[in-house]
Amino acid sequence: MDDRGHPDGAANHPRGSGDTDSMDRRRFLRLVGAGALVAGVSPWATGCGRLLDWSAGRQTASRRQMAAGPATTGTTSTVIATEGGASSTTTAGATGAPRPDLVVVQGSDPAENVRRAVELLGGMDTFVTRGAKVVLKPNVLTGRAPEYAVTTNPIVMAALTRLCLEAGAASVTALDRPTSAARPAFSESGIAQAVQDAGGTVKYLTDRNFEEIEIPEGRVLRSWPLVTDIFEADCFINVPIAKTHGLGGLTMAMKNLMGIMGGSRGIIHVGFSQKIVDLSTLVRPHLVVLDATRILTANGPTGGDLNDVKQLDTIVAGVSPVSVDAYGSTLFDRRPTDLEYLVKAQEQGLGEIDLGKLTIVREQA
Amino acid sequence: MKVHRQRRRIQIAFLVLFFVLLTLTVWPLGRVFLGAFLVADPLIALNSIVGGVVRREMLLAGLVLVLPLFLGRVFCGYVCPFGTLVELLGPRRERRLGDRSAWVRKAPLFVLMGCVGLLAFGSGLFLVFDPLTLLTRSAALLVYPAVDRIARLLGDLAYLAPPARGPVDVVTGLLSGRVIFARPLAFQLQALALLMVAAVLAASWAERRLWCRHLCPLGALLGVVSRWSLFGRRIDADVCIRCGRCGQVCPLGAVREDGVATDVTRCQLGLECADVCPTGAITFGRRTRTEGTATYDPTRRGLLSAGALAVVGGFSVYGFQTGRRRDVYLVRPPGAGAESALLGLCSRCGQCMKVCPTNVLQPSLRSGWEGMFTPEMSFVHGYCDYSCNECGKVCPTGAIQALTLEAKRTTVIGRAYIDRNRCIPWADFKDCIVCQELCPTPKKAIVLQEESVVDPKGATVSLKRPWVLADLCIGCGICEANCPVSFEAAVRVRGVQA
Repeated sequence: MDDRGHPDGAANHPRGSGDTDSMDRRRFLRLVGAGALVAGVSPWATGCGRLLDWSAGRQTASRRQMAAGPATTGTTSTVIATEGGASSTTTAGATGAPRPDLVVVQGSDPAENVRRAVELLGGMDTFVTRGAKVVLKPNVLTGRAPEYAVTTNPIVMAALTRLCLEAGAASVTALDRPTSAARPAFSESGIAQAVQDAGGTVKYLTDRNFEEIEIPEGRVLRSWPLVTDIFEADCFINVPIAKTHGLGGLTMAMKNLMGIMGGSRGIIHVGFSQKIVDLSTLVRPHLVVLDATRILTANGPTGGDLNDVKQLDTIVAGVSPVSVDAYGSTLFDRRPTDLEYLVKAQEQGLGEIDLGKLTIVREQA
Repeated sequence: MKVHRQRRRIQIAFLVLFFVLLTLTVWPLGRVFLGAFLVADPLIALNSIVGGVVRREMLLAGLVLVLPLFLGRVFCGYVCPFGTLVELLGPRRERRLGDRSAWVRKAPLFVLMGCVGLLAFGSGLFLVFDPLTLLTRSAALLVYPAVDRIARLLGDLAYLAPPARGPVDVVTGLLSGRVIFARPLAFQLQALALLMVAAVLAASWAERRLWCRHLCPLGALLGVVSRWSLFGRRIDADVCIRCGRCGQVCPLGAVREDGVATDVTRCQLGLECADVCPTGAITFGRRTRTEGTATYDPTRRGLLSAGALAVVGGFSVYGFQTGRRRDVYLVRPPGAGAESALLGLCSRCGQCMKVCPTNVLQPSLRSGWEGMFTPEMSFVHGYCDYSCNECGKVCPTGAIQALTLEAKRTTVIGRAYIDRNRCIPWADFKDCIVCQELCPTPKKAIVLQEESVVDPKGATVSLKRPWVLADLCIGCGICEANCPVSFEAAVRVRGVQA
């Protein structure tokens, strides 16, 4: 390339000896260039390039709030006590339409279960307005095929994506921070394909999608790097799967929020009950759809043994993650009070866990 | 036929192809035959055959080895991507070591005998200097981490402008897991890798393409076969005016001092000589056995000394290993056989490290000099993903055998041990379930036991404490990689007898 303008014009040929001076300068420049390349590559490669770690270094916590959403989300903290019959109702939506606290739909088609559950909660229109940006948070812990009940069912994800788009959403984005490489995890779980086929997108997160965000009501967790997309969304839908976790623990809606947390996953888990309650004081999903099509009853949350999987063909939905989780615990023949984080959430007024005090609509599709 | 006029274009096409294939070497792998260049390397294939691995793809390497019988070192001049880089980044005009040239002419013989020595003693260490492994390794350890960092920085800068955020997210999504990784790629031994490739490239300023002329073991091997090349450069001695211009332009110094003899062990058929010849004395054609050939024919003394070098080289490696106790934290990737087989077979190309999605595969620090640049698992950098078996698929030698996912998931590479002096529930009397939570085996190899214990302050606390079940642990290291204990994990994986 540096032969341009040279009299004999042939790229591969040496010059005569007449132009030694200019050649020397070129060679000098090439040497300098090579030196700069080596000097430039080595610090980047060895990790000394402080500048490049700059994005990870933003430390000051900023304040963010969830979008208000078309329906009032206040129901999470002001549950109206009723006598616990399936027929009783509370007024929750801004429209004044009666909305049950929880809906439980059972049927062989997961997509139909989702559709019916959302309908019973007042329809997707009450959560998603025309032109809204919707963020879905499935559980994509790691790459496992759907039948292992480790990740949210892709049919559920597809159904929710369609419902949001039908309600006029401008965009539907599914995101999570898997413990393994994101792209293979999303593809092996079937969620990438399902969401994309339904018209939504999958977002693979990087550091720059996280921001240190203050948790004003946090007792232990005062601030943490969180995915900013959920605060920028008009509607945030939490779509967990019901699984066992640790010794006697369960992971459902509240624990699913760990996937929007950046930073060290290990440190979050030391004393994690209070931490996920703290997180729930700030991050309040507009809708919670618990996938219990298949549940993982042992060796969770990573599973891998089909004998541990139980098919329930059930969707539990509501606006309070605390109440959804409270009901979810009964799927494993546990009581809500067995779970430390539910007890703490109830104490802090984040939601009702006494199923007797909730309006629950059950339907067999 | 003026194919040689297109030499630079052909070279660049192969160089681009090399980098395209290497860039595509990411999890999950497509169907493209990605390791083509390494598989076509006769040195690697010979080493594998000596190590007892024979594969159908080695026919490709056989082809490359037979090619010089017809066209000399055409591989070096037209195909070898590392040769292309040496040429592109080096000086364009002739430089010589001067008087030492005659001595350095013998170098390939010594290089080859050194290789043979290591080969005979069952060590693949000489492949560290194979041009294709050198390039693959340098790219995997140096170029891709740099690209990852630079792409990240550019994205961060663009992110400062809010309107650019959408597009940046889209591009990042496309590159995620392919070029940009969740945690920036980082490798051990980068300095050594950089030093090696820089030294080789810089040597061109002592003598033009010094590496290709005298030091490259693959070039030396192809050069030996080239002695019997059917076609090559022909000089009409009657037309030649002995002006010496051919000697000045030959990139490989294959024109001997008298101007009419060709060193066929070095001629790469670039035919720059024919293009500058003022009288048209140089043509390409069928060589006759006797005419104008000047190879270095080893004397008996030369052969003996080179043979001695081979023996010394082989024994020195033997010496590296004798009496050396294996590092307890040395964990090899799943599919790697016995340590001696791995050291013998591994080409040190680093392709497994390129494809590894978690960055756990690292050039080894724990297996001594002979194991330099062989793959080891470093759980500080990552862990072995339960759903990935790509390293075995890309290995060009069989040092890491290709395992099915089912087989890989039950292949034991190590075992986790909990350090109760530092583990949070054991030492600090607080709950922590990370290792158990992430353990990927169907029946968890780390279990929690609920215990009621009296802490140092005399209070009775109920704790979940982790235990490792030896018969279930496969040594994937996800527990070690995620352990929240500062600086050194409280659960660590140690190697097990293969």
